[in-house]
This record gives sequence, C-alpha cells and structure tokens, in this order.
Amino acid sequence: MIAYEKFSLDNGLRVIVHEDQSTPLVAVNILYDVGSRDESPDMTGFAHLFEHLMFSGSENVKDFDDIIQRAGGDCNAFTNSDITNFYTILPTQNIETALYLESDRMMALKINQHSLDVQKKVVVEEFKENCVNTPYGDAWHLISRMAYKKHSYSWPTIGKTVEHIEFAELNDVQNFFKKHYSPSNAIMVLSGNISLAKAKVLSEKWFSDIPSGPPYLRKLSLEPKQEATQKVVTKANVPMDAVYICFHVAERKHKDYYATDLLSDIICNGKSSRFYQKFIKEKKMFSYIDAYITGSSDPGLLVIEGKLSEGVDTELAIEEIWNELEKIKAEPISNIELQKYKNKVESSLLFSESSILNKAFNLAYFESIGEIDLINNEVDIYANLTSEEIHRIANEILIPENANILVYEKQDA
Amino acid sequence: MPDRTQAPPISKIEKIDFPQPARYTLSNGIPLWVLDTGVQDIIKLDIFFNAGRPYENKKLVARATSKLLLEGTKKHSAHEIAEILDFHGTTLASPVDLDTSSLILYSLGKHFPKMLDLVCEILTEPIFNQEELHLFQQNTIQKLKFNNSKCDIRAYRQVTESIFGSDHPYGYNSSPDLINNIKRADLVDHFSRLYNADNCTLMASGKVSAEMIQLIDQKFSTTLNRGESAQPTLSLETQAPKRIDDYVSGAVQTSIRIGRRLVNRAHEDYNGLYLLNTILGGYFGSRLMMNIREEKGYTYNIFSSLDTMLYDGYFYVGTEVDNRYADKTIEEIYSEMERLKIDLVDDIELEMVKNYLMGNLLTMIDGPMNSSEVVKAFLINKLPFSSFNHLIYKIQTIEAEELRTLAVKYLNRESMWEVVSGGVNN
Repeated sequence: MIAYEKFSLDNGLRVIVHEDQSTPLVAVNILYDVGSRDESPDMTGFAHLFEHLMFSGSENVKDFDDIIQRAGGDCNAFTNSDITNFYTILPTQNIETALYLESDRMMALKINQHSLDVQKKVVVEEFKENCVNTPYGDAWHLISRMAYKKHSYSWPTIGKTVEHIEFAELNDVQNFFKKHYSPSNAIMVLSGNISLAKAKVLSEKWFSDIPSGPPYLRKLSLEPKQEATQKVVTKANVPMDAVYICFHVAERKHKDYYATDLLSDIICNGKSSRFYQKFIKEKKMFSYIDAYITGSSDPGLLVIEGKLSEGVDTELAIEEIWNELEKIKAEPISNIELQKYKNKVESSLLFSESSILNKAFNLAYFESIGEIDLINNEVDIYANLTSEEIHRIANEILIPENANILVYEKQDA
Repeated sequence: MPDRTQAPPISKIEKIDFPQPARYTLSNGIPLWVLDTGVQDIIKLDIFFNAGRPYENKKLVARATSKLLLEGTKKHSAHEIAEILDFHGTTLASPVDLDTSSLILYSLGKHFPKMLDLVCEILTEPIFNQEELHLFQQNTIQKLKFNNSKCDIRAYRQVTESIFGSDHPYGYNSSPDLINNIKRADLVDHFSRLYNADNCTLMASGKVSAEMIQLIDQKFSTTLNRGESAQPTLSLETQAPKRIDDYVSGAVQTSIRIGRRLVNRAHEDYNGLYLLNTILGGYFGSRLMMNIREEKGYTYNIFSSLDTMLYDGYFYVGTEVDNRYADKTIEEIYSEMERLKIDLVDDIELEMVKNYLMGNLLTMIDGPMNSSEVVKAFLINKLPFSSFNHLIYKIQTIEAEELRTLAVKYLNRESMWEVVSGGVNN
C-alpha cells in the first residue's frame, strides 16, 4: 500500500506527495504531458531533443547538473511516445535546490545557439549508437511505420531520421516550450523523506507564480482497425535471423489492458512459460524469445520477438509461432497457469515498491492518465482476472488480420 | 514570489551511517550476514562462493557451472524447477562476476521456506544434464555472435584481454571453441571442488525474521559440507601497451576503449583514485563529459571506470563517437589526463565532486536491496566494513595535491592500451 496526498496550485500544477520516513532522501519527479506522439510528422524526435535542452540553461541557471551535483543529488530524464519525465534524487535537506531548479526552467527556459547545436550533435550520436550502429537497432523504426498508418506512434521517440533532429531551430524550441511546458501540463511528485505540510509550503513558494499558460488540447488521429496481415522483410548486417510479430492491443486505460498484459506473460515470461519451453528448450528453434506489451497510453502493441537458431527457416519459425498461439486461443488456460502469472505480478509489484524513485514515477504516470488510484488497485485488478477474459482477448487480437510481422534476414558476409 | 536570482543554500552531508549487518555463524561454519531493514514482506537471500575464474581448472567453466545449476536436480527437471519458481513469483538468478558465483533468491516472505528447500536441493543434487549443457553451449555461441557484432563489446573485450593477457582469468575471452570444449565432467569437478561450506557466504536482506534465520541455519548445515577454501591461479603476462585498430565494415561510429591495469580495493591508493576517476569521467559533471559531450558534441556518452576484482583492478575510458572524431577524441581524452597531471583541481570543482559523491553513497545504501549490494561488495573483496568510513573520510578530506600526485603516478599515456573498433576514420 502506497499512501499519497494530492493537491493542485492555482496555476494548474498538480502535486502528489508520498511520505517515506525510512529514507534520508527525497525524489523530485516532474512529468510533462508531452511525448513524441505530439510531434508533427515532419519534425519528429523533437520532444526527446527538447528533454536534452531542458538541462542547457534557464533564466537564472546556467548549468542545472552543476547545482544538483553540488547539492549531493543526481538527476536524469527520459522521453517516450506519451510523456517526458524529469527526476532528481537528493538528500532531503537540499530539496529546495531541486525545486528551485525545476521552478526556474518551468518559468523560463533560455537556450542559446551553441547549446542547441551541441545537443543536436549529441542526440544524433545517440540515434546512431542505438538505432544504426547496433544490430536490429532499426526494429522500432520499421515496426512503428508498419503498424501505425494514421496515429503518431508511427515513428519512434528518437525520431524518424537524423535529418529531423538536425533541422531543429531556436524558435522551434521556444514554441515547443510555450506549448507544452506549462504548470497545467505538468505533474510533480515528491516522494521520500518529506511531510505533506512542508511539500505544500515549498510547492507554493517555488511554483505558484508561474503563469498557467494556454491549455494544450491533444487531437491525434485514431489508428483505423487493421484489415490484413502486414509484413516487412529486411536484409541487414545482423548476426542471426530474427522475427518480430506485433498485434494491436488496447490502450493503457482500457479494462482489457491487464488481461492483455497477462496474456503476453502467458506467451513468454519466465523460463517456465510456453514459448520459452517450446522454442528454446524443446524445439531449439530460437536462441532468444520474449513477449511483452508496449503499455502506451494510446492503443499499443503486443510484441513477440525472437532470434533464430542457426539454420532455422524464418517462415517455418513464424508458422510454429502461429501453431502455439492457436493452442492458447483454443481453450481457456488452466487456473494453475493463470495463478502462476498472477503470483509473478504480485511479487514484481511488491519488489518495485522498495524504490522511492519508482514510486514517484508510477504516481506521476497514473495521474497523467487520470487514474492515480491504480497505484494501489492494480494488484487486485490482476488478481480478479479470469481465464475466460484472457481467452476472449487472445481470440480477438492474436489473429492474422491484426498481425505486423518484421523479419530480419542475415546478409551473407 | 521567490527570489530566483539566488539559489537556496546547500547543506552538506556530514556523515553517513553504514548499514551494519548482523553476523551469524551457521553450525557448519558458514557466515550469514543479515540486513533486516525491510518494510515489505520480501526477502533476498544471496549465496555466494569463491568459485569464479581465478579458481577454474579450465576456461569458462565457472560460468557454465553456475548456469547449469538451475537446469535440473535428481528430483526435479529444469522445467519443473522453473515452474516451481515462477508459480511462487520467485526469482532465482545465478549471476557470476569474475571472482564469485552466486545464487540469488528473491522471494515473498510467505513462500520463503518452500523456496529455501528448492535452493538447498539445487546445491545438493544438481545433475548437470548433458543435453542442457549442449543447449547452453549453442545459445552461448549465438549470444557471442551477437556481442561480437557490437563495436562497444568488441572494444571492451580487446582492451581487458590486452591488459591482463589472454590466459589470465581477468583477461581471457570466450570463443566458440572454448565454449564447445566444456565437458560435463568439468562442471562436476568445479562444483565439487568449490561449492562447499568453507568457500561460501550467505547474506539475507529485506524483512528477515528470527524464524527465517533459524531455518536457514537448519537447512544449510546439511546442504553444504566442509571443504577447502579456494586457491587462485593467476598468470599475468604483461606486454608493452599499444594501439589496436579493429576496423568494422559499415560501422557509422567508432568505439574507443583506453585502459590500463590498476589496483584492487585493498590498495592504499584506491580511495584517492576513486575520486580522481570520478573527476575524470565518473559522473555527469566529469571533465570528459563536459569537454567531449557537452562542449563538442562528439558523443552521446563518455565515461571512465575503475573496475576492481579481489586480486587486481583496471581503469578504462569508453565512448562511442562519430567516425570523423575518433582520433580527435583520443587526443582530448589524453589532454584531460594531462590536465589532471599538471593543474590542481580548483576548490569549486573539488567541492562539487565531494558533495556529489557523498549524496551518491547515501543513495547507494538506501533501502535493504541497495544496501545489500554494497555490503556484498565488501565481503567479496574481503574488506572490513570500516573501509566504508575510510572512503568517506578520504572524500571529505582529500586535497588537490594528492589528486595530482595520483594522476602523475597512474594516468600516463605510455601505460595505456588503446582499442579502436568501428568505422574509425574511413
């Protein structure tokens, strides 16, 4: 059970406090409700580039990291398709340092041409490191483009191409800041050694004078229902053949989300799971296989990905995967198998509660989708799932018309 | 309205309390360390043996033994073991580092007795199934192929092999031949020689009750027999350092690893080097990061690292850069080392790094799961817990002259191996 309190400032900033006196530290987590889905198709990767720029100077702060380090803290951030999240962990006696820095950059970001030029280069190197100079690094470019024709999930967070990043200009930066980085579009979580009373005083002090800013209304194109199997085969300089099979699934807030999550566990989570046993141990067709859901705020994907053993034909491997999926669709799974995955979820939720940073981010994310109670309710939602629900969902989504298949074929050296 | 032109005052961390674990000795002599600081009903039991590479009779056997332990006992097949663990929401991992082989159990408190039974069975009656070994070999070779297609891993493998030599336990690399050469009898030998009570340490953390401690004692006293403590074999062949160019066709970046043999944690210079390394490349505000990423934008990440093992240690700088900047980056790395050898670190920077490290140590021991990692590192390196306080004292008191002296002593270009993997300057 994670206890929390929630309040809002007049400018719309939502603040959530989770007090944990067992630690000398406090986590300051600020989530901005903007991700790569909010970008325009001709300027992708901008939300993530912007995350870098948030460390490059604001009205009164030349170097964010410098001051945080001086206060004994550590900070970082990440961007995904839905949100941009900044976090600092530091000794609680220095919490005002973190609040001051966050407040200053929420009030007025101040980026010069040199900072922009450097961060563009840094992000281009990040792009190359993760997506070009690594085997299978372009998988999410290929999958996103295949699975999403209308919705802005059709490009990955890092951006479609390095050119998009190189095009970014200073006035784009200021416009993006004005549009998305206002208090009404942000959620702050203070988690750790801090009382509610103190959190209220300090939030008022550092954030209440920041103007609310214009509201941002998200208007994204819906992805139409897919009608037929899609497939992309790419010949690449990879060490072994690989396949990815991706199915459209429900959004994070949908009631089917949890059953879909367990379905992906049933397919392949842990060494006792169906696909691990069948494909790694028994048939030895794959040297690696996994299944998971993307968990995105808008409708996401259930992904099955595997690397093939030497000499195994990719078509045969895909056919065998379908055969196994048919077994899951044929009849509801046993109560024992269902209970196994419920127990795994219970355990991993409990272990994840031992970190104040984890708790802070989860609170912020659930609040961003308007479902903060999930922080404590999820465990019961999973516990109440039935094998019939999972069976229904398996039959709805694990069908050829809903499948996006990516195949990597090893290029002969 | 707050005055944003003034940063709030910063208060220093004056002291950090080491999470002192309680020590018990089981009836067969195994030390059990307990960190009972948990709120959630979870427990982590870490069982580790001096059974890493320095104690191998044959290359790669330490890792293979550790991985195959989970693949079947006389009573349960690999599949059944996996079912039991997964059904109880338990994770049982068998990680290896260079010196140590571990079994780490993460369990809910309510399932702990049953899971402990399984762990003891695994340590008493492993069968080292031949077919499972064969599968392990095949998949390990596949993984090696994957790793060798990545420039960063290629460069890392070559630099550590060069530093220690290709027959040294800390230096040798795996190869398909070595992997295929592992025999079942090697695993049985490694296990029977090294997985004994005199070569083992236990650590429990989380919510650990008196009953659990009693249960651990009861189970383990019949699980592991007395034996001999392990003796290392270390044959160091040192060569004069040089640059190794590893051209990878089609690579759009170049991985650089520059490194040398250094000291282990018991060495008198270690604590000072810990600070020196942090300043050079050990945190975001480091010299390398500020110069090569934040000023020049050559890379997404650059770091330096002080890696220590029980019997030795090494230092290296690593980064992935645009091919065009590979040589320029190497020169910048050396110029940052030179700067540390010539100029004194100024007070402002020194204070920042000291404050940062104190906060970092506080984070490292926050909560039972984190604390247990720190405690384990002391135990593996056979260091008294008081060395934590020595490190803190060094952080608080070190002066710029000492850092410069250490830089002059250790950061010399002639002592560095350079490995450059990727598109280089094509």
